[in-house]
Amino acid sequence: MADPIRDVDADDGGIGRLLRERLPRHPAPATLRAAVVEAVEPRRQERWTWATGWLAPASAALATAMVMLLWLPTLDTPRSLDPLRGLARAMVTEHERTLSWAEEEPEAVQTALPDVIDQSGIAVTSLFKGDDELQMTSAQPTYVEGHRGLSLGYVDSEGHALTYVIVPGGQIALPSSGRQEQIDRWRALVRTDKDSGFTVIMWKQQGQLCALVAALVSEDDVDTLKDYFVRVREATDIKPI
Amino acid sequence: MADEAFRKEALQHLDALHNFAVYLTRNGPEAPDLVQETYLRALRFSHRFEPGTHMRAWLFQILRNTFLTFYRVREREPALSEDGVPEGPAPMFHDAPPEGASRLEMHTDLERALALLPEDFRTPLLLAEIEGLSLDEVAGIMECPVGTVKSRIFRAKERLRITLKDYIEEHRS
Repeated sequence: MADPIRDVDADDGGIGRLLRERLPRHPAPATLRAAVVEAVEPRRQERWTWATGWLAPASAALATAMVMLLWLPTLDTPRSLDPLRGLARAMVTEHERTLSWAEEEPEAVQTALPDVIDQSGIAVTSLFKGDDELQMTSAQPTYVEGHRGLSLGYVDSEGHALTYVIVPGGQIALPSSGRQEQIDRWRALVRTDKDSGFTVIMWKQQGQLCALVAALVSEDDVDTLKDYFVRVREATDIKPI
Repeated sequence: MADEAFRKEALQHLDALHNFAVYLTRNGPEAPDLVQETYLRALRFSHRFEPGTHMRAWLFQILRNTFLTFYRVREREPALSEDGVPEGPAPMFHDAPPEGASRLEMHTDLERALALLPEDFRTPLLLAEIEGLSLDEVAGIMECPVGTVKSRIFRAKERLRITLKDYIEEHRS
């Protein structure tokens, strides 16, 4: 058999062959195999269980570190220059935070939802609770930019996480409707930051400021997020303030 | 709820998924959890899978998206240089490897060289060259055009040639 090292420069296939022949393979360890086999048993599929203990503390710690490293330098930036930019960043931070709040059992999220809504102070009469494409994975009262509100987490069938935030809109003014995008029957502000890798869709509804955040930045992915916005917007009714 | 045939086929790809997870996480301890998380999501959304299409590619896509969602901040690590390639000569060995250990060292250095690649170069290279997926399938997983996949694989190989240069020269016979 020809030596793959000799052929590395011969053509573009040399490195590929080198990897296939010499890169170690890592089959699943027995413990993982046993855990996955048990998890796929039919009686287990009714429960949505997240990965073991590393996820929540690791994500919370990383989200906090990210806030410290990335957002602290912006504290001196005068908010009047672009208050919406600060708001979008706050929504992204909230999104990072909700990743650590994913519940072990989605049914528990639904059960606790009325109490969470009550604690948040947001008067919703109906809320998007998920569908065949999006599953609600967390619901928490939260504070964003000093405003108490509601933070809901979802995940779609491809593993993309979304966060839906509702806070009192109050003094916050979105740009005129001319700068907002028409999405189905509604208009909303869509901000995509490819450097940070997030898109934020913001809109006002009955005096509340609402936002949908996800790590989706390609054109197709942003279209998907807009589709999710329609589902969320359509299913959510908020009492006017 | 996923049927028996779906579960059986999904389990067939466990080793490949774990192998990919190891290289995606740079051999981190999170690889098994990432794989387990992938299976849970796949089962939860099994109704979204189209029978007759490539389940392996679908599972790889879920795994990668799960990795990117929960590991994104960890991927923002400083590059060794602007393009991630060590600046100046960076031999993989300081001393010649002992006799008989060269194959083991090569494995280790291949893994190290691969780990130096950014994720969006490492992933298409692994999926196409190691897992044998077509460029169309890799493009679907990475949600980018086939041309972009080709370009990233080409650049990934270029970088590996540079990173492994010393060892390749030393072992050319």
